[in-house]
Amino acid sequence: MKYAIAVGLLLALVAPAVVHSDSILAIAIYGFMAASLAVSFNLIFGFTGQLSMFHAASFGVSAYVVTILVTTFKWNFWLAIIPALVVVMILSLIVGTICFRFKLKEFYFAVVTMAFSEVLRLITLNWNSVTNGSLGITVVDKPSIWTPSGSFAISSGVSWYYLTLALLVIVYIICHRILASWIGRCLAAIRLNDQLGETLGIDVFKYKLLSFAIGSVLAGLVGAFYGFYSGFVEPHYFSIPLGLDIIAMVLLGGVNSLIGPVIGALVLTALPHVIELSAELRIALYGSILIFVILVMPKGIVGLLTSRKHAA
Amino acid sequence: MLLDIQNLTKRFGGLTAVSNVSFGVERGEIVGIFGPNGSGKTTTLSLIAGILKPTSGAIVWKDRDISTLTPFEVAQQGLVKTFQNPQLFPELTVAQHMRIACHLHVKRALGIGRLRTLFSGMPAELDRTLEHKIGQMLELCRLSSQRNDEAGALSYGGEKMLGVAMGMVCDPELLLLDEPASGLGHDEITNLDAVLRDLKSHGVTLCIIDHKVGFLGRLADRSIALHHGAVIATGKTEDVLANEAVVAAYLGKKHA
Repeated sequence: MKYAIAVGLLLALVAPAVVHSDSILAIAIYGFMAASLAVSFNLIFGFTGQLSMFHAASFGVSAYVVTILVTTFKWNFWLAIIPALVVVMILSLIVGTICFRFKLKEFYFAVVTMAFSEVLRLITLNWNSVTNGSLGITVVDKPSIWTPSGSFAISSGVSWYYLTLALLVIVYIICHRILASWIGRCLAAIRLNDQLGETLGIDVFKYKLLSFAIGSVLAGLVGAFYGFYSGFVEPHYFSIPLGLDIIAMVLLGGVNSLIGPVIGALVLTALPHVIELSAELRIALYGSILIFVILVMPKGIVGLLTSRKHAA
Repeated sequence: MLLDIQNLTKRFGGLTAVSNVSFGVERGEIVGIFGPNGSGKTTTLSLIAGILKPTSGAIVWKDRDISTLTPFEVAQQGLVKTFQNPQLFPELTVAQHMRIACHLHVKRALGIGRLRTLFSGMPAELDRTLEHKIGQMLELCRLSSQRNDEAGALSYGGEKMLGVAMGMVCDPELLLLDEPASGLGHDEITNLDAVLRDLKSHGVTLCIIDHKVGFLGRLADRSIALHHGAVIATGKTEDVLANEAVVAAYLGKKHA
């Protein structure tokens, strides 16, 4: 699997030299951002066992904070990411503390986090003076980086391609390091039997909160970039369908793996473009895939591939 | 005194599960808690382990009342409890169970320095120490050959022994065992008996509850007998077992 990931990364690095189509690059860029969201979501869902419906909200809050700071207050994009992530961290700590102190699990946790998410969406929708309500905010600025030869604006498809690929690699590595450490073992204990974990000395509340906050902040990191690539932020970012899309990506790719959500996200981002479908049919396709995956391959694409390998 | 239970009471609505129970545990001894089903043994142990909160009374551990602590805080204090029905992490192997159970060990060894392991991985020396310890504990609990098996594939007795092994690898000062012999066959009980004696010889203090008089009767230095949530006898194990009230509780007044 390690080699497959390395080869995949290598192919991704050289792809823009071969592929010159802007639309394919755009699909890849959205795919990388969706994959980053899915990987960070899987830290909370697949590895800690908490079905968070707050992920789209973390993504949206950060997108709005960065956009408002840059367009209204003329902050530097890179600097604006810091307060955006701090806001997401504070929100996730508040939501997480409430949910985990009350020991909310499974559907109760999902419903309560969904309610918090809706509250944030409604605030964004109605706080016209700051968020421009349902119209959202158009983002014309592009982040720039400093190079020895001067400032370089990230505006071309290729530069966004590498930026979002780097984002995915960073999110992946952070999650990988966490899961390989003692924290990963605590999260596994919580997912599989939190009562036993607690009697073995694991602070279940602390580690659940840690996983939720880290996952949410990573979603915020993706949100910070998303608006600047797509050119607008809107209340739809907080919506339940986006949360469900992320779940579909994780389930399709494989819950119990780090690379699974990357594969799921890339497949589900590319699929509607490969088979051209209207928005309604696209949602129906998502739904059908979810049902199919749950019934036929509960461990997702990665589960299917690895079991084939074992059988061979 | 290592552990001092003072006037412990637990009520569930109108039911008094544990009523005014007091006893102590000295370092290095094996204390047995007897009693027929429903006598409040498991509730008492759950109260000590922080899983339940007492209605009144105190649980004094090394001169400090720990009755308000949560289960993980109690475990961090050095009191670890095993479960009557084996509790496992499904999907994980025996060795992975043991690695999770090393949580407190790693925490004590590295403290905040654990953050460094996010970048550099676990220090090789600590890793070796843990592996050695896990190997030793699995050997002691006769689980070495099943080290890489999924824990769900173990026999019932094996699952119970894994519970003891996980509790032991936490380095407890006091191990609370909830009916370790229940559901075990004759050979498995003999094995368990040997393991627990071995633990004692390593200086671990044990507090064991069971309703099987024979097994615990041979093992415990001192015993407490419970009936309807109250202490009916306490003292040397053979004296407690010969006590009229205890015999009556088990077999009815006619046999006392």
